[in-house]
Amino acid sequence: MERGLLAYILIPLLSAIVIPFAARNKPRIADIIANVTLLAGLANMAYLLLNPSNIAESFSNIPGDGFSLLMVFTIYLVALCVVFFSAFFAGPMANRQAYFCLMLISVAAMCGVVTTSDFFTLYIYIEVLAVTSFALITTDDTSAGLEGAIKYFLLTFPASVSIIVGLSLLLLSVGGFSFENVKMFMSAGSPDGAALFGIGLILLGFLIKAGVAPFHAWVPDAYQGSFAPVSTHLAGIVTKISGIYAIIRISMLMRFSEGEAQALAGTLMFLGMLSIAVGAIAALRQKDLKRMLAFSSISQLGYIVLAAGLGTPLALIAAIFHLFNHATFKTVLFLNSASLEKAAGTTDMDKMGGLEHAMPWTSWTSVIALLSTAGIPPLSGFWSKLLIIVALWAGGAKVYALLALLFSIVTLAYFMVMQKKIFFGKKSAAAGISEVSAPMLAPVVLMSAVIVAVGLLFPYFYAYLVETIAKRMIL
Amino acid sequence: MDQSHLNMSLTALQTAVAAPILGAFLIPFAGRISTAVRNILAVTLGLVTFIAAAYMLPDAMRGVIASYSISFPLGFDLILSADMLAVFMAAISSFVSAIILIYSVDYISHYENQTEYYTMVVLFLGSMMGLVFSANLLWMYVFWELTAFASWRLVGFFRSDRDVLKANKTFLVTVFGALCMLAGILLVYFDKGSMDMRLLHGESISILAASLILMGILAKSATLPFSTWLPDAGVAPSTVTALLHAAVLVKIGVYAYARIFGVTFAAPPEFSQAVLWIAGASALVSAGAALVEKDIKRIIAYSTVSQIAFIFLGLASGNKVAFIGGLLYILMHSIAKGGLFLCAGIIEQKTHNKDITKMGGLCKTMPVTCLAFAMCSLSVMGIPPFGGFFSKFMVFSGAAQNGSLSVILIFLAGAVMTLLYLFRLFYLVFMGPDKQDSPREGSTVMVASVLALGLIGLALGALIYYPSVYVDLLTNQLGVNLQ
Repeated sequence: MERGLLAYILIPLLSAIVIPFAARNKPRIADIIANVTLLAGLANMAYLLLNPSNIAESFSNIPGDGFSLLMVFTIYLVALCVVFFSAFFAGPMANRQAYFCLMLISVAAMCGVVTTSDFFTLYIYIEVLAVTSFALITTDDTSAGLEGAIKYFLLTFPASVSIIVGLSLLLLSVGGFSFENVKMFMSAGSPDGAALFGIGLILLGFLIKAGVAPFHAWVPDAYQGSFAPVSTHLAGIVTKISGIYAIIRISMLMRFSEGEAQALAGTLMFLGMLSIAVGAIAALRQKDLKRMLAFSSISQLGYIVLAAGLGTPLALIAAIFHLFNHATFKTVLFLNSASLEKAAGTTDMDKMGGLEHAMPWTSWTSVIALLSTAGIPPLSGFWSKLLIIVALWAGGAKVYALLALLFSIVTLAYFMVMQKKIFFGKKSAAAGISEVSAPMLAPVVLMSAVIVAVGLLFPYFYAYLVETIAKRMIL
Repeated sequence: MDQSHLNMSLTALQTAVAAPILGAFLIPFAGRISTAVRNILAVTLGLVTFIAAAYMLPDAMRGVIASYSISFPLGFDLILSADMLAVFMAAISSFVSAIILIYSVDYISHYENQTEYYTMVVLFLGSMMGLVFSANLLWMYVFWELTAFASWRLVGFFRSDRDVLKANKTFLVTVFGALCMLAGILLVYFDKGSMDMRLLHGESISILAASLILMGILAKSATLPFSTWLPDAGVAPSTVTALLHAAVLVKIGVYAYARIFGVTFAAPPEFSQAVLWIAGASALVSAGAALVEKDIKRIIAYSTVSQIAFIFLGLASGNKVAFIGGLLYILMHSIAKGGLFLCAGIIEQKTHNKDITKMGGLCKTMPVTCLAFAMCSLSVMGIPPFGGFFSKFMVFSGAAQNGSLSVILIFLAGAVMTLLYLFRLFYLVFMGPDKQDSPREGSTVMVASVLALGLIGLALGALIYYPSVYVDLLTNQLGVNLQ
């Protein structure tokens, strides 16, 4: 555990404890406390990461593990957007204090996940996260919300079992849970069957939690059923942290690139590619906006898993970069779907149309996010996808590289369908609908600005990834 | 002396790329102030870009090559380099774009989404400049996709289901081609370890990489088998947009061919041969389509597909004269096809009709348009003394020295068909009996711009010496593997 990062776990937790007391009579105070807490954390992190002197000192002033830092930054960024948005999205809410409390606990748990340095603590935090997510999904106390929550619980429960069994196998053969132990164990020579089986089970658990194909069945239901800002929170960050983060970590420790544990690496890459294909093709056929975005998420996660399975330094930083980018553009798209739900009263794409003049900001931020997802330069998604493809090619996986490249066209195709149906289509459906309020647009505009800025400042980002992650962690 | 020239050229280069790209994002804000401010800004940006590009012409000829670069990791550097070919192309496309912007001020004022239109035209122009000047294959791809994005918005200018579908089709086809091209570029990158075209000059290229890059080029220049999007793009949106595609966008593909296979890599001979056959098929098929089509803009769009094939004939023949002819063809075709499209725009706006079988006798009521249309048609057909004659002649005479006889015969047939479909078009629209109430001549600005384009076509024929000296020098300096 990075001691310096402990504050990012404790402070939101503390705020979560304070909220029920402070906001007992005035629910609005809950909004303020949650927003201030997250904003302060984000500002702190941004100061650390984006300090101009970083370039001059080639990031040597950044302590420890660049991966954890970047993830903490991402968590705060997405959570702040969601919390700020939901403060204005929700009208009178029965359990406002509980909602904001849960959001803060969820942030604390995610920070715990990304800052810990052993698998057991990681597992504990992930379970905390799973319980808060379960509770958050039920914020929408209609039957759909409950159904989504139960599905989420039932389908991720086996994942937890798989992880805990894998952990015990790991303990038996490696003799410890910490990342250092695993790393040393791996460098000592080829791992034995039991250890590999253990790692395999752990990976399986995380793959289910991440919703990678063929374990993706719960994802669309959970996203579609839950309260709109909560689905943003889940899609933007929670499933990434509770699933994908650990997969990338394991790939780093396991040295997949050096030919160790080839079967596991090969399986990961295959599932990644399968996810890309299944997600993209299924997204083409969706009528509901949130379901379509969920499948798009599955497809994009595939890119990350594919790169993580390859495990070369370039592939790993590309995977981390794509993870960050995915968090930004999926947040924009899901928040926009929430705005649309509020403005148009539906997420069925066939019932919308011609909204571009009624909701110009929502329309244009969607365009930015979708182009970035499809990998159109010079937006951020282009660079991370390009890095993934270059890494795959250089790592010898040329067929995967080519397929990954060509599936961008399918990504673009389903987003074209979306944009056509919702924003450009027939105008009659747009009657009486107007743009959501400025505070609700602020997070979306902020995130879109991040997408454009990261795309244009790619050299800076790349230097950060190389200096703080590739050089310190992998080599 | 040379240093100051270099500095001025560098400034011009930066202006030509940065002004339209950054300026495009100011247009929405200008639009909030007033329509007039927005229009003035857009036209100014177009003119500034053209002036900056044209300013570099004499310097490039003197051998002063300005270049500017921003370093990116992994050899992804952004490199802008103003060599002769880039400046030549930049001057042509920015000139046509500037004319389009001026013509738009009147033409587009009747429709919705004007601010988006101006933003996208200027952004398109800027990314075109970036594409033309970039000396790094990756950045060529980046700007390539930016132009695709701008044209997606421009083709989808009207928002009926049909128009949006066609816009999406255009975008998907060109992006698919571009992804293939990116794969080809990455092949080159892994093969040679660099994407800087200045370092790759004269290198060989594998046939797989060349074919993948060619896919992108064919998709963008609307050559077979990707030709279908262009006629669609020509029908759905307004005429100006169609013009932008026919006169500027498709030239991107041709330019990329000249840049990558003409002056950078030595393409394998079988590859060039295959390109000639594809181009030949494209010339014939689209000329045939133009012969039977009834929609005036579709005819002109098919004619573009067919004429692009002639440019490919010039560029891929591997012969100096043909290459020079091909480059001149880009110039002549841009001007003449621009004129034809603008004429079609006037005709469509005045007759409220696109079907040529329902028109007739327009030369009585629209004499100036008729005259301009005739001049531009003659240039496209390649009748002396119009500029189009010289380029077509050089392409054929060069190709005849190198190419196989059968290819030449295909293209000759294509040239004859060009004559036929343009004559048919002209006859049905302007001659014959009146079929409707006599429409009036278009507005002064519009008629003046088409007449200007017709006269420029004639002047280019008379003054063919100047462009041909420039292109000749260019070919001798930069050409790879030409006889």
